[in-house]
Amino acid sequence: MNHDEIKVVVQEKFLSSERVTALLCDAKVFHPEWVKKDRLLAIVEYGDEKAVFCLFSSCYPPKTFTDLSIEIILPIDNSFKCEIDNKPSDPEAILYLNLQSRLSKYKFEIQMTPRVDNFVDDLFRGIEAVNKIPTQPEFVWLKKYSVKNDDQTIAESIMLPKSNMHNTAPVAIRESLIKRKMSDKELEYTFTKNFTVFCGTWNVNDKSPVIPLKGWLSVDQEPPDIYAIGFQELDLSKETFLFDQTMREDEWYCAVLNYIDKRAKYIKVEKVRLVGMLLIVLIKEKHFQNVRNVICDTVGTGIMGKMGNKGGVAIRFDFHNTSICFVNSHLAAHVEEFERRNQDFRDICNRTRFVQIDQQPKSIKDHDHIYWLGDLNYRITEMDPITVKKLVSENNFKPVLEWDQLKQQHNNKNVFSGYTEGPITFKPTYKYDPGTDNWDSSEKHRAPAWCDRIFWKGDTITQLAYRSHPSLNISDHKPVSAIFSSRIKIIDEEKYRRVYEEVIKQLDKLENELIPQVKVDITEVDFGTVKYLELQVRTITIKNIGKLPVEFEFINKLDETQFCKEWLIVEPYKKCICADETCEIQLKVLINKTSACKMNAGTDKLYDILVLHLYGGKDIFITVNGTYQRSCFGCSIEVLVKLNMPIREVPVGKLIELENKRDQAVSNQSTYSIPKEIWFLVDHIYLHGLKEPNLFEQPGLHSEVLQIRDWLDSGSIDPIPGSIHSVAEALLLLLESTVDPIIPYNLQSICLKASANYLQCRQIIMELPEFRKNVFLYLCEFLQEALQHSSENGLDSKTLSTLFGAIFLRDNPNLVQEPQSRINKQIIDKKKAQFVYHFLVNDHSDLMFSR
Amino acid sequence: MTSGPYNYSYIFKYIIIGDMGVGKSCLLHQFTEKKFMADCPHTIGVEFGTRIIEVAGQKIKLQIWDTAGQERFRAVTRSYYRGAAGALMVYDITRRSTYNHLSSWLTDTRNLTNPSTVIFLIGNKSDLDGKRDVTYEEAKQFADENGLMFVEASAKTGQNVEEAFLETAKKIYQSIQDGRLDLNAAESGVQHKPAASARPLAAAPASNNNCAC
Ligand SMILES: Nc1nc2c(ncn2[C@@H]2O[C@H](COP(=O)(O)OP(=O)(O)OP(=O)(O)O)[C@@H](O)[C@H]2O)c(=O)[nH]1
Ligand SMILES: [Mg+2]
Repeated sequence: MNHDEIKVVVQEKFLSSERVTALLCDAKVFHPEWVKKDRLLAIVEYGDEKAVFCLFSSCYPPKTFTDLSIEIILPIDNSFKCEIDNKPSDPEAILYLNLQSRLSKYKFEIQMTPRVDNFVDDLFRGIEAVNKIPTQPEFVWLKKYSVKNDDQTIAESIMLPKSNMHNTAPVAIRESLIKRKMSDKELEYTFTKNFTVFCGTWNVNDKSPVIPLKGWLSVDQEPPDIYAIGFQELDLSKETFLFDQTMREDEWYCAVLNYIDKRAKYIKVEKVRLVGMLLIVLIKEKHFQNVRNVICDTVGTGIMGKMGNKGGVAIRFDFHNTSICFVNSHLAAHVEEFERRNQDFRDICNRTRFVQIDQQPKSIKDHDHIYWLGDLNYRITEMDPITVKKLVSENNFKPVLEWDQLKQQHNNKNVFSGYTEGPITFKPTYKYDPGTDNWDSSEKHRAPAWCDRIFWKGDTITQLAYRSHPSLNISDHKPVSAIFSSRIKIIDEEKYRRVYEEVIKQLDKLENELIPQVKVDITEVDFGTVKYLELQVRTITIKNIGKLPVEFEFINKLDETQFCKEWLIVEPYKKCICADETCEIQLKVLINKTSACKMNAGTDKLYDILVLHLYGGKDIFITVNGTYQRSCFGCSIEVLVKLNMPIREVPVGKLIELENKRDQAVSNQSTYSIPKEIWFLVDHIYLHGLKEPNLFEQPGLHSEVLQIRDWLDSGSIDPIPGSIHSVAEALLLLLESTVDPIIPYNLQSICLKASANYLQCRQIIMELPEFRKNVFLYLCEFLQEALQHSSENGLDSKTLSTLFGAIFLRDNPNLVQEPQSRINKQIIDKKKAQFVYHFLVNDHSDLMFSR
Repeated sequence: MTSGPYNYSYIFKYIIIGDMGVGKSCLLHQFTEKKFMADCPHTIGVEFGTRIIEVAGQKIKLQIWDTAGQERFRAVTRSYYRGAAGALMVYDITRRSTYNHLSSWLTDTRNLTNPSTVIFLIGNKSDLDGKRDVTYEEAKQFADENGLMFVEASAKTGQNVEEAFLETAKKIYQSIQDGRLDLNAAESGVQHKPAASARPLAAAPASNNNCAC
């Protein structure tokens, strides 16, 4: 189906005066709750006014206009705006069209095709035009299209979920699916039964019912189940034509009720009139309970394509499970105007719309059974009236019917395509002198014609009779009637309920199946033993085993701001996986000083549960587990100084207890004057590394630092592993990792203030707790010693005081400070260095041994 | 009935809670699929199922969250209680411990849901009457004392499964009718989809939408 063919279908959705000027086929609308399924965008023009329509099609490409539903209408008025962007990731192929009109704003994604140019041109022409005219267009013609809730719910019911924990489940196109499934299974819950349908049509030529109608309406052996009786030219007065008022409607309706078959009781299904066209549908009282959804519509095709002197009236309803539509029409007059009559037929087909709350509007052809009756006005041409009259008088209709315009047009499929008409065995019904059975005797001497006809469409309809009733002679037309035996589908309520439940169950199942499904190979990730500063990686694999792409994301648990603990890194934490594809996720654990402190203090554990959320689906818990091997790194100085055994030999509970009580237990009964770990490292450098070039400047090897960590933690009696540089780095890392720095956080600002004054600095140090003072002075002593060898190791007091200033007076990471400006930070760093500098250049051995 | 649009007007959120192995997932499966899963793996996370039911002529979509029962997930599954309109609290009639833990499940439910949340107690595995460890009377008394609805059910035979889910919905629907449940409260666990009504021209669903992509 090419673009132009689709355009024809779209055009059918509108009146012929409303022209589809441009069309885009694969537009996607961005709406948080609508599936990004292809939509059609059409620009429709009516007079000077244009509007953009977004149409959803239940199948693609749309086969008929009933497949289309109007979802969005954006009138091009002077509030209308249009902006075009390229899709950043694919600027060549995809455009974003942002359309705004009145209060509505939509974004569409469209494929770059040559048609886009036409469409956009047309759009901008519309905008230009509207901005030129001084008055705001009214768009009255759009009112009839106002978006029905029905369309909206379809769009909503295929929405996909977006939020996480409290989201809604994905919903399939339920309503239409159920309908379709139910109609697929119709045979399973229906049986059929024949009903008789009487159709009658009469052009009464402005007459009142002054004669009995029994000879037309009640001549059969059995009373019919349904009556459909149509009149034309009920009233030819100006009032009726202009104001659509007439008394005749009631007169004729009463006459019909009077003369229908008296052996049965009938109830009115519906009655509808447009000017002179009246259609009455009656049904046997006992069947009335099985009639539902009765709707009627009228279409005028007269002067200006609107007036109701010609056109059609229609009534539709559901009888049991069969939909039935009756149409009564009066098509254009005049012998030569058969094309016009064909056009009227098409207009009635296209414009009749049965609008029902909560449902797609139906047109005539959307019915199982259609009966079309009326004064169709087709004539006999190419045969002179004398011959016609002669043949007809001999009851030799066949040669005449060959020249019947309607038979010809019908055979050529120009009109009533798909409909059937029974064989005509009665005289032409037009034109008689009223009150007689004589052919029209006026000057015109028209040829007789079968103007009044009955057609039907539907597989299970059989015509039983087709006749005229010449004795009813008040009009210049004779009435016509037909009897049908029509097979109606009847619902077996019991079976229906069973099938319905089955369908619902199936759909529920389908819906549950469409919930994203993945397989995760491991939901419990065990990292085994995890050591300080040693990165560990594990991989889990997610496989999409569902039918749709799945987007996953690790999401926060209740009241938490991160989806995982600080020592865990998850990569990627969010991604989309196509059906049948897999995604590997790396989980990395790294215990740094912050997390080590928490582990040692027992405020955190190597344990976490991650919530892997599938959008629109379930959540999977991934448990992360490991044992942290405790280390002297990340302990507090208070605890280190007290421990007289390697930290690995300290029971877990004991360490936690010590850490938690460190504030109270600072007394002087420490085991050592300084932590043994600091002493080991310093002493090693003192003995073996003072002359090492680039001491404290060249970094160590990470692996050696880890070996040194193990050596310290296990209390090994082997020599310290690794190079001097690794030992020096381990020392710095150890000093950095303590819970608080050697000069506690709360003294930092005092120290910085005092930094210019050596005596004040001394005073602060003297007031430190004993073990802190010891560590500080011991390290300074050692640094002084190192500076003695500056010729070999290249150290200078400036470098050392800066390096150790940052360590001794470490900033509190938990203190939320205003971000320091670079200059500010430099000043602070300099003050820290200055503070330490005093102790690298002055002799303070007196302090060491005070007390 | 033959052609009315099939459209639900409410969405109710349910959670199913209770100790591991009591049959929560099986109950959900029985309700949504009418099948019994003889060897159902432990739920590691939260799964969900949906089904549309009818209460008092109203179509209601149930959105049911089946939680992991293992104790270690307890802290995490607490995230899911919020906004539940119904809570099905399940124990296994053949294992007394699962019954003994009910008070702790109930405490969580009361603390984490809103007062109008309907709590329904289900004694599951009623087909295993021979191995019964908790009497009907005892559980019934517990339910009455705590104002819970209660049945014994079997995810295996399907007995009373339908009833438990539907009765809960009826009670919720009743609360809506009585005005006890405030639909506008974000946490009510009920979403109302307004009934069909013609909308004015271009009254766009996007009027308060910033065209998010
Ligand atoms: N006989 C019997 N067995 C049942 C019934 N319901 C569940 N089971 C069995 O009990 C076991 C556990 O059922 P599940 O539904 O997985 O239990 P659960 O509550 O979801 O468990 P978690 O997901 O770990 O919280 C399964 O082996 C089921 O086959 C029942 O009504 N009768
Ligand atoms: Mg489970």
